[in-house]
Amino acid sequence: MPLYLSINTIAEITCFLIGLICLFQDKSLLWKSFIAYLFLVCITETGGIYLRVHHTRNYLIYTIYMFFECLMVSTFFYYIYKRYHHKIKLLYSWMALFLVIYLMELYTSHFKSFPSFTATFMSVVFVVASLYFYLLIIKDERFRQLSTYPTFWIVNGILLYYFGSTACNVFYDYLVQNENGIKATLSIRYIIFNLLNVLLYACWSYAFICRYYQRKLSSSSR
Amino acid sequence: MQILSKEVIFLITLTTSIFLIAPIFIIVYVSYYNKKKAKHLEEKESLKKTFELELLKSQFEVQEHTMETIATNLHDNIGQLLSLTSITLSSIKADSAQEGKINAAGELVVRAIQELRQLSRIMSGKELIRKNLGHAIAFELDWLKKGTDYQVQFTDNTIRTIPQNSDKELILFRLFQEIISNIIRHAGATKITISIDQTDSTLSLQVKDNGKGFVLEDKLQASDGMGLFNISKRAKMMDGTFSIHSVTGVGTDILVSIPYI
Repeated sequence: MPLYLSINTIAEITCFLIGLICLFQDKSLLWKSFIAYLFLVCITETGGIYLRVHHTRNYLIYTIYMFFECLMVSTFFYYIYKRYHHKIKLLYSWMALFLVIYLMELYTSHFKSFPSFTATFMSVVFVVASLYFYLLIIKDERFRQLSTYPTFWIVNGILLYYFGSTACNVFYDYLVQNENGIKATLSIRYIIFNLLNVLLYACWSYAFICRYYQRKLSSSSR
Repeated sequence: MQILSKEVIFLITLTTSIFLIAPIFIIVYVSYYNKKKAKHLEEKESLKKTFELELLKSQFEVQEHTMETIATNLHDNIGQLLSLTSITLSSIKADSAQEGKINAAGELVVRAIQELRQLSRIMSGKELIRKNLGHAIAFELDWLKKGTDYQVQFTDNTIRTIPQNSDKELILFRLFQEIISNIIRHAGATKITISIDQTDSTLSLQVKDNGKGFVLEDKLQASDGMGLFNISKRAKMMDGTFSIHSVTGVGTDILVSIPYI
């Protein structure tokens, strides 16, 4: 059992539980879908550990998960941009492009390795999307209290995670080749992703708490 | 020999650290910029408020000046003409049959002169407020009682008058006139209770009526809520407070307080 309780899983489960408490009664379907997404994250992580423990390669489970990850984050960005009159075509176009690259990489590798190029490409797109969100905030004439603005904290988590994972993604093949023979939990890739996961889920948990208080405040002022 | 060279580990750690520090700086910058934006918006709002108050002040001064001019013209020109008419009428030597009519006309002219003087005093706020606010309100209420059937109750609890604050008293008097005018036009009341109170630092005017009342939110949204909006703005212009409590079918209670030191 302790095998399944790593820094990663603890961060993910904590975030999932906070999301469950804070977003369960949220009226927005987008915010509510974070609960389902985080549940999927926990399942994926547990499945990944299970396969690793049984000396089976777990890249496939993370490969499938990557599609849902992209869908969730992209939909979130689309809903942010929607307020600034961006069209749904943008989301469809991006998802189509992602699928093409994702499937092509899987096809060329004969479904035998994790699509690291797609992950890097996706990271770059999310980093650009996060920076664009900041640009929109700066350009927006309305003032928002950013320290308690949930969307801002979700994007902060995304930026830290995807920008921080760029180095690992770029050197992915090299790192995987050289990890053979050492304990997985001691590899630099594992340590970095632990740190990034903690940062991502801490930001998201805080965003969920802000969202919860925002909802409570708006319902009590009515 | 280690499986993963130290240099590569160091390079990846360094790159990741930089890639983590960079977004943190971006987040800090966006937050800082946002705070500056809030400050800028606050300044903009404050400037807008100051401008609105200045505009209101000018409007009030122009209105006061216009009323002053009308009051002077009424008193000096029409008053003089009526006085001359009265003198002319009294100098006519008529037979007994016409004397009664001429005397009646003379009395009417004298009443007209009195009414005109009273009207011009009410219009000339500075003249009326010379004694104090309580006196000005009592004078206005006398005028009101003459032409209407309102049951008016006035309590003056002021202790002292500060001559330097005569402008504030004048604005408060004009607010009182506006409130009374609103009651006459819209409230359908039979009883009006007015009181002015003074503390060490404030002067308050309270006007209550037993009219039909209204829902404040509806009134403020409707175009006829401008009167209330103006009263509130004028109270703010003097750094004062304005509160209104109205219950449909029961009446309205208005309280205006201004600093008075």
